[in-house]
Amino acid sequence: MIDLIGYGAFFLTTALIFSLVTLGLNLQWGLTGLFNVGLAGFVAIGAYTSALLTTPDDAARLGGFGLPILVGWLGAMIVGGIAAALTGMATLRLRSDYLAITTFGVAVVVQLVALNAQKLTGGPFGIGFIPRPFGRLAETPLLFNLSNLAVVCVVTLIVYLALEHLSRSPWGRVLKALREDERAAISLGKSARFYRVQAFAVGGAIMALAGALQAHFTGFIAPDNYLPILTFQVWVMLIVGGSGSDVGAVVGSVLVWAIWAGSGTLTSILFSPEQQARAASLQIVAIGVMLCVILLVRPNGLFGERPRRMRFGKRAKATASESGS
Amino acid sequence: MSLQFVVDGLLTGSMIGLGAIGVTLTYSILRFSNFAHGDFMAWGTYATLAVVSAIGATFGKVAPIAPLSFGWPLLVALVVGMAFTALLALLLDKVLFSRLRAQGQAIIVVMASFGASMALRSLLEFSFTSRPTYFSRAIQIAMPVGFGIRITPDQIALLLLTALLVLGVHLLMTRTQIGRSMQALSQNAALARIVGIDVAGVVRVTWILGAALACVAGVMIGILVQIRPFMGFDMLLPMFAAAILGGIGSIPGAVLGGLIIGIAEAGAVQLIGAEWRAAVSFIILMAVLFVRPIGLFGVRER
Amino acid sequence: MSETVLDVRDLEAGYEPGVPIVRGASITVRKSEIVVVLGPNGAGKSSFIKAIAGLVPITRGTVLLDGKDITAAPAHTMVRLGLAFVPQTENIFPLMSVEDNLRVACGILERREAPARIEEMYAMFPDLARQRRAAAGNLSGGQRQMLAVARALIVHPKLLVLDEPSAGLSPKFVSMVFEMLAGIRKAGVTILLVEQNAKAALATGDRAYVLVEGKDSHEGVASELWNDPVVAELYLGQRPLSAEKTGHAEKGGAA
Repeated sequence: MIDLIGYGAFFLTTALIFSLVTLGLNLQWGLTGLFNVGLAGFVAIGAYTSALLTTPDDAARLGGFGLPILVGWLGAMIVGGIAAALTGMATLRLRSDYLAITTFGVAVVVQLVALNAQKLTGGPFGIGFIPRPFGRLAETPLLFNLSNLAVVCVVTLIVYLALEHLSRSPWGRVLKALREDERAAISLGKSARFYRVQAFAVGGAIMALAGALQAHFTGFIAPDNYLPILTFQVWVMLIVGGSGSDVGAVVGSVLVWAIWAGSGTLTSILFSPEQQARAASLQIVAIGVMLCVILLVRPNGLFGERPRRMRFGKRAKATASESGS
Repeated sequence: MSLQFVVDGLLTGSMIGLGAIGVTLTYSILRFSNFAHGDFMAWGTYATLAVVSAIGATFGKVAPIAPLSFGWPLLVALVVGMAFTALLALLLDKVLFSRLRAQGQAIIVVMASFGASMALRSLLEFSFTSRPTYFSRAIQIAMPVGFGIRITPDQIALLLLTALLVLGVHLLMTRTQIGRSMQALSQNAALARIVGIDVAGVVRVTWILGAALACVAGVMIGILVQIRPFMGFDMLLPMFAAAILGGIGSIPGAVLGGLIIGIAEAGAVQLIGAEWRAAVSFIILMAVLFVRPIGLFGVRER
Repeated sequence: MSETVLDVRDLEAGYEPGVPIVRGASITVRKSEIVVVLGPNGAGKSSFIKAIAGLVPITRGTVLLDGKDITAAPAHTMVRLGLAFVPQTENIFPLMSVEDNLRVACGILERREAPARIEEMYAMFPDLARQRRAAAGNLSGGQRQMLAVARALIVHPKLLVLDEPSAGLSPKFVSMVFEMLAGIRKAGVTILLVEQNAKAALATGDRAYVLVEGKDSHEGVASELWNDPVVAELYLGQRPLSAEKTGHAEKGGAA
């Protein structure tokens, strides 16, 4: 029983960290319509930044600086936000596809740096000895897991409330208006772009915070944690929950993570160890198909907003030539 | 610094360029960046490999065409593989992309292509495992051609094949009715319908062309490097960068962009080391987006 | 009376279901006629003509071309059915050469016929012949309009439909465009056009319809219609006819 509670707490902790990333993505995509296919990169930036700031000094690489955990989290948010802002500035004056391609590139490069810049990131072996918030409790796993869960709950709640507040503020309304009409957003020029860069940066900062949290709960990070599959999982979470809805982001994350973890357990029971790598790829196929089916059948997910108006549809085209009559 | 990087770069650039043709066509005609394009490469390559094995099982060992490392089975298999990849692309368009396109939100199609990419790639991993495999394990002797450059017969053949294909595509686009229809559709879809162009037909040709070239590029990678489920996904960023560098919609641009990125990558490998290769396309991509987002041969979007 | 080429009956059309912009308009075009559709801003003229060309969904009514029902035909089949449409703007492919603009429109012709047909167009529009290799985007406004018309004529249409061919052109080019249309009609082509420039259009046209609030309100011989008090009211702006309502109707399609 106690094991079960412990596992439940561990499961929820992971799911809620995912939901933080999803909330960040929801700000970028759901509210602002900015397409980020490299979010794993921003999560990684947060994890590595916080790890560098808080780990004890290590002769083999830069730092660590042994700073308090909260400083690490703050640093993660700042660096993640800056990275996202730069990405946004490069691409937001262009068509949305360019942002998609660029974020994809960011994730590739972050992965490359994590793997190869040994002096900074520890290379393929990653960074260990990342301080845990309740490290003293590690001897009693249940208490440790529950305290972690409490911390994540609090952080998620704060981020959730902040985002809800933001989306109802005038700032959020501007973002929604810009989302509805990409052409207007591009033609409105600098001020509109600035709004979108802000949203993208805040989203990136939230993702980085999630990465940092995760790093401090597992105590160890490696490049493998931030592969494209992470990006993909979070997207599925947002789409299942319904983009545009913060509640949807959280519920979708927990739900998809439950499916993911459950099917993972199932494959480990059903398949022999040597077959498990293959079975795991089948799991990804299933989730990929799921994403496509949801997009086709129920594009608003569980809690999504009403159907959005077409942007590049026939109407927009027809309108352009109609205006002369 | 040896000039060998030029040859290496031209080869990598050929693969990127052939792939980028498909990317640029999909973008300019279907109006979305297809993240599954790299996986067309990988699927085409595995299909070709499967046909090669089937031919080997039926006809026994076939001697390679000297001095190349491969014989007629690979050529036959390549044609079959191209057809297979084209069918795969058409199928994916029918069940997924065309329906989402009809809803009118371009970026949803991009997301679906991302999901499809993940599923396609993992399906390959499931079927063939992630272990690399090869068309031939024979080692070719590279011939010195002066200036410290060495090149294998396979490499020469593939460079010629690329040149031939690019020329063919260029002629198709500029000298045939279907090519002009594709240009017309990319410039003004509404007007294209008005002048009587069957959009659905042109879309089909676009997929067939892009997918078949992706298959050739994949098989080139398979011959010169190795075959892995991730081989196409790893080409995605260079292909996108090449298409944008060349100017979206421009076929010569995509090929030139591919060659530039290929040579830059090869140069970087020689100067800083192979592990940073993937960063080259990103740096070029960012430079293009900041300095000249319409690319070398691009035209401002109206 | 000569035979009917186009017969539009009680047409209702619009971009969104339940918000028709065209609300029951009927017109007839006879062989070798130039018929002009006039109307105040927002009357739905442009939507009307686009609905005929298959570009705006039709919710009620019929369109007969040479007695054949083309009401539900998709836009890309229209040229094959004999209806060639020239949009008001963006009516050429700017990055293609003049010659390729013409060639791409030859899709429905016999392969062997196309080159000769292109030369015929050059003979009709010598300005285009001089610029055949130039990118169409570099042509002047009047030449673009010529190219668009040539591109439409190349397939021997039974009916040439034009959406405000004089829009945005300087007065010199406006008269040139209408001279061109008169010449085309002389060659036996039937023409239907929507125009804002009522004076020039009525001077060239045979008959005209006035469209108000998506319906045909007046029909008449072009030269007489110019002296009609209602037309004068609509075009000389003495008393704007329920401008608010029509403005609203237009918004339904253009919002």
